Amino acid sequence: MLFASRSFCCLGTRTYQLGTGLLSRSVSISASATMAFRHKNTRRIEGLDSNVWVEFTKVAADPSIVNLGQGLPDISPPTYVKEELAKAAAVDRLNQYTRGFGHPSLVKALSQVYEVVCGRKIDPLTDILVTVGAYGSLFSTIQALIEEEDEVIIIEPFYDCYEPMVKMAGGKPVFIPLRYKNDGNSESSANWVLDPAELASKFNSRTKAIILNTPHNPIGKVFTREELQVVADLCIKHDTLCISDEVYEWLVYKGNKHIKIATLPGMWERTITIGSAGKTYSVTGWKLGWSIGPQNLIKHLQVVHQNTLYTCPTPLQEALAQAFWIDYKRMGDPDCYFYSLSRELELKRDRMARLLQEAGLKPVIPDGGYFMIVDVSTLNVDLSDVDEKQPYDYKFVKWMITSKKLSAIPLSAFCGPETKKQFEKYIRFCFIKKDSTLDAAEVVLKNWNKQTA
Amino acid sequence: FLSLSLQAEMSRPVQARRLEGIDKNIWVEFVKLAATYSKVNLGQGFPDFPPPDFLKEAFLRAVSGENKMLHQYTRAFGHPPLVKTLAQFFGKLLGRDLDPMTNVMVTVGAYQALFNCFQAFVEEGDEVIIIEPFFDCYEPMVKMAGGTPVFVPLRLKAPKDGELMSSADWQLDPAELASKFSTQTKAIILNSPNNPLGKVFSRGELEVIAELCVKHDVLCISDEVYEWLVYDGKEHVRIASLQGMWDRTVSIGSAGKTFSITGWKVGWTVGPNRLLQHLRTVHQNSVYHCATVAQEAVAQGFQRELEHYGKPESYFVQLPKELQQKRDWLVQSLDAVGMKPIVPEGTYFLVADISEFKSDVPDVPDSDEPYDSRFAKWMVKNKGLAAIPLSAFYCEAHKNSYSHFIRFCFAKEEATLKAANDILQKWKQEKTSP
Repeated sequence: MLFASRSFCCLGTRTYQLGTGLLSRSVSISASATMAFRHKNTRRIEGLDSNVWVEFTKVAADPSIVNLGQGLPDISPPTYVKEELAKAAAVDRLNQYTRGFGHPSLVKALSQVYEVVCGRKIDPLTDILVTVGAYGSLFSTIQALIEEEDEVIIIEPFYDCYEPMVKMAGGKPVFIPLRYKNDGNSESSANWVLDPAELASKFNSRTKAIILNTPHNPIGKVFTREELQVVADLCIKHDTLCISDEVYEWLVYKGNKHIKIATLPGMWERTITIGSAGKTYSVTGWKLGWSIGPQNLIKHLQVVHQNTLYTCPTPLQEALAQAFWIDYKRMGDPDCYFYSLSRELELKRDRMARLLQEAGLKPVIPDGGYFMIVDVSTLNVDLSDVDEKQPYDYKFVKWMITSKKLSAIPLSAFCGPETKKQFEKYIRFCFIKKDSTLDAAEVVLKNWNKQTA
Repeated sequence: FLSLSLQAEMSRPVQARRLEGIDKNIWVEFVKLAATYSKVNLGQGFPDFPPPDFLKEAFLRAVSGENKMLHQYTRAFGHPPLVKTLAQFFGKLLGRDLDPMTNVMVTVGAYQALFNCFQAFVEEGDEVIIIEPFFDCYEPMVKMAGGTPVFVPLRLKAPKDGELMSSADWQLDPAELASKFSTQTKAIILNSPNNPLGKVFSRGELEVIAELCVKHDVLCISDEVYEWLVYDGKEHVRIASLQGMWDRTVSIGSAGKTFSITGWKVGWTVGPNRLLQHLRTVHQNSVYHCATVAQEAVAQGFQRELEHYGKPESYFVQLPKELQQKRDWLVQSLDAVGMKPIVPEGTYFLVADISEFKSDVPDVPDSDEPYDSRFAKWMVKNKGLAAIPLSAFYCEAHKNSYSHFIRFCFAKEEATLKAANDILQKWKQEKTSP
């Protein structure tokens, strides 16, 4: 009577084995009840239905595949973070609604942590909005501030949701690619730069905002102060807003420093800075994020929020607040999770790079984040017989999943239409993985050449 | 650079036009007032009693159990164990086979489910019929989507002499309802059981609505968050189960109301794939995933309820039984002091006529603020009892339709309701003592 299966896939869709009888019956019921139905979807979502994740998380769901594709940790969150959630859920009133714009103890903790980082006073009630993940912050920001006739500059490659979100708000994405600058040094994310003249040419009177992502997904670039100053100067000159996606802010490796563009002169009043609990504490499944900025901008995000989902889950916010207090108190201490996670990931980054290099590949070593992109054209895998109209990297990843049992994400998923050709020889690996996963990846990579006939 | 940005502010507002007219929200003010002044808070709708033990235990297992991947992303359109059990549960209730992957989608509370529906189906040129009084977010959500709200009121039919009013006495006039449908009508939003009145639409009433939806080829967004909270043996009829309605209806539910965990923000939509596919598009471009651990725990809660369905131990049997008792206590308390309760057939809200207490709050002619709002504010500040004015659930133009009603939430511990009773008794004594 009752299904007993507890198995599930945490990474994406999986087709359940419904009895074919059930399926065909439900199809015929709806077919017979169908009448003239004039209702289709609204224009705002036209063309926004496809999504790289739906395609690739499904394909990689097979547990025999070493999954370095979607960016989710398979390492454990810190114990105290889980403990705080258990403690919060035991308090009855913390299972009921909290303050819409952010649970009081959480916005207080966030204001304290970011006051230290930004060097300015941040009002927890007016300068912060808690959202469902950084994703929710991006959505609230774009819905609040972007509409028809607004142009939004998006740096390629980009986290894939920026483009559809801008379009859904009626805005027009204007793309500018990071370009590889060969200065003789080994491959580093620092080699990927914006051309200042090219960037300047993208700004005009219709430019409402630029979306910045630092540390950058997928390349791992950490924008330097000088690079940010170029962006800031243009924002100020053209009176443009800056939406700064800084979810990987704590994950910067030796020799690099994460700079908040909002701290540059003239930028606080025009910048929304976005952060993520999922990336900060390795709890992507908690889906809590935040937007921080001046009251006159945040208030509009709050209006969107009160008309979209109103409140975020209470026990998760309380637990996050407590975790932040623990780390706030040790922000001067190397044991603070903000720094210890980064050190842990740097070792994984270096290991991942070595494995790829030993397999004859040239990875781009990221200065931050937990992704690494690799040029796979050097492997000369001939996929011309695969007659799909997909870009090379899509075909490569699908081939790699089936024949090598290793998954990644194709980089052209992160590009606008003009740039896909430029990036279709790259794929992206995620390295926030436990040692046994990286061991399994090592086996695949070591055996790579043996299997290629 | 300061003058540059000031110039920009003057030439064009920084915010998008879709925010026009939707920035006000009564909860911000009333929640603050309750926090500051109330000794007994019967205002905002959430339980002050704990969630059921089996659910708290399920949450703890999810948080601290062996499967640490429950702290990472799950399937975007709904955690597989949850959509699977929702499909089973609602399939039984609707009498059809539901595919968990295409006929169910999980959302961040029923609130986000509503948002997804309006964004997916409503745009400029579309009219949406809203039945008054209504849960206040419907109107701004329709506006934010560019649509035009068209209001139709439930009208109070006077009860027989000596009888208490019932939420059943509030009815739609079928001819009036029919007149609201036009070629521009895209959808009607139905809320049964209804917040704030507690009305449970009868099968006959739903059939009137269904016929109009079919005749005019209109979508139905059915907010059924209080589906389990029906009293006196009444039946909650699901409009999606009526003739011609499955294909045009999105049914919305809420774990918060179902399991007394409003703070977990887990909701869902159930409907045909050709409608849900568009909700999925909105969802993947707005929040994408919902929190995993909460979904895992709610899935276990539903599995437990599937096992106990219809039995006395079922939470869906126990909760309405307990709430009916609380409803009856509050009805008694209000009736005893002269506030006239409208006995709700469902939900955990009760609306009462406070006319007998008008003398405490004199009328202010030409006041912009509806009388019931001024009364509710006075009451929380001076008596420490928080409630919500009924005008909060009406559009601006109709805020003075019924000016002497306030809404109480009775999903409260016995002690809370007794304390409310004490306040009311004392208040009455002060009025009648020489």
